[in-house]
Amino acid sequence: MSTHVEKTGNSLIQINPSKAPIPFIIIGLILLAIGGYATLQVLFKGHEAVYGVTREVPWGLLISTYAYFVITSTGLAFIGGLGHAFGFEKYSKVSKRIVVMAFVILLAGFTQIGMEIGHPIRLMIYMILSPNLSAPIVWMGVFYGIELVILAIELYLVFKPNQTAKDHETAKVVGFFALLVGVFATSNLGYVFGSLNARPFYHGVYFSTFLVISGITAGAALLMVIHNIIYGWNIPEKLNGTMNALGKIMGMGIALMAFLYLWKILSSIYTQPGDAYLSAMALIKGPLSKNFWIGELGLAVVIPFLIIAFTKARNTRALGVAGIIFMIGLFFTRYDFIVAGQLPPMRKALEGSGVEAVNGLVQYSPSAGEWMIFALGWGLFLFLYFMAEKFLNLETEEHH
Amino acid sequence: MNEKRYAIVLDTKKCINCKACTVACRAENHVPHEEGAYRIWVTALELQGKFPDLHQDYEPSQCQHCQNTPCESVCPTRATYKSPEGVVLVDYDKCILCKACMTACPYNARFVHEHHKAIDKCTFCYHRLPEGREPACVETCPTKVRVFGDLNDPNSQVSKLLDTNRYYRLKEDRNTNPRLYYIIK
Repeated sequence: MSTHVEKTGNSLIQINPSKAPIPFIIIGLILLAIGGYATLQVLFKGHEAVYGVTREVPWGLLISTYAYFVITSTGLAFIGGLGHAFGFEKYSKVSKRIVVMAFVILLAGFTQIGMEIGHPIRLMIYMILSPNLSAPIVWMGVFYGIELVILAIELYLVFKPNQTAKDHETAKVVGFFALLVGVFATSNLGYVFGSLNARPFYHGVYFSTFLVISGITAGAALLMVIHNIIYGWNIPEKLNGTMNALGKIMGMGIALMAFLYLWKILSSIYTQPGDAYLSAMALIKGPLSKNFWIGELGLAVVIPFLIIAFTKARNTRALGVAGIIFMIGLFFTRYDFIVAGQLPPMRKALEGSGVEAVNGLVQYSPSAGEWMIFALGWGLFLFLYFMAEKFLNLETEEHH
Repeated sequence: MNEKRYAIVLDTKKCINCKACTVACRAENHVPHEEGAYRIWVTALELQGKFPDLHQDYEPSQCQHCQNTPCESVCPTRATYKSPEGVVLVDYDKCILCKACMTACPYNARFVHEHHKAIDKCTFCYHRLPEGREPACVETCPTKVRVFGDLNDPNSQVSKLLDTNRYYRLKEDRNTNPRLYYIIK
């Protein structure tokens, strides 16, 4: 265990002279306004009128974006836990940013699920009054709720002035639980899908594993992107080791993702003519094939992996570029995962069946309203995070 | 203890695809005329044979009221529940519209009811049963495709039909143990 002790700046409010956060704050506000408009539309017209999800594909873009945000948050918490609880100094050097980012992106995720669920208030009431403990969604609420509280405690601890040795011990324990609960939350999210009798593509251990690994990879990628933005693509040398370590996590994560893809797709193909086969084929040469080959494999696997491999994770700018490309690609990964499993119809699309299909698959494309709620999540993340960068001291000072 | 166990036995060879059952269901249960909003349906199966000896079957269907209920097990608030007679019902007031039950149902039997702001599905017309009335789809069918009754009563028509006929159930491989039985003739 390292003897590293970190010390955070004494003043909570500290205006960052850098102008780097300002454009992102403005973009965040614009996206929030767009999302706010869509929220009003949903409140006045109802979900069904605004969203493009259907009886056949009940979960669409918003669930995908929810997964994107919350899994990235738990990935960040995992990396933070490595720094706090397990003494990996390189990660604790950016612990403030990790905690703020994980907290804010979790909130962004909650906007998506809050706007997706028809009665979010009722959810909170009946999850307490009559919870169904066999339902994975209950545990999703429990784990992500606890994760939010843990991150809030971490926020308090990293910003607490005049930190004592006891605070650092507390931070270790809290960091460990953030890591642990994060892994449970994300793997349970795989179970939310894996428990659906009708959707064989989601069954098995694959998604729970894949979501945890891709979440940690996303956490590393996002940290590299944000640091590049904040430091104007010229990250200070003192953070080179941290960026290099994050690059290695990301490279290893992508390699594991590719490994899991290989066996998931191959095993799904051999279930022909089952629904898992249909879902896999929807990805390989069906309606999601562009997303899959270009987005999931090209942007989230091949290109960032090549960048990391060729630069040996030493060039921080290249890592930032790899991070951006990965985070764009990861959106397709999440979207495809959610949608592909639902495309096989539950009965043949014959006259009178009520089901419409093209080439044996039902269809879904997000509505403008869903994209605007997607913007709401991004707006909240960009606005809150870069406001924190502008007005809070997110530099983690250290001494040994 | 309530010992009733309700089921529907269907003789699809009698179906003439008049869709009276779908109309009766819609009227009885105030199912809105909106896209994707229906509790029951009648699928025209593929044409069989060669011209001029063509043959077509129809397959009326609805919620299967599964004994192993995939929709119930994923419902976080227990909005979906089973009555003592095994009828799968939705408590509109508890439904949060997370739609997990819709994605879990292998029969695509559920939909969002825009007026109730909750998930809706076939209830075997549960509200009519205390009056001794059959579900609307059963009552209205001119050729008596559907027979409704208690599987625990050996003298019920459904029990007799299942005793004397071969039958299949939809997607038995999903281990849902459905309560809709289709007679094979």
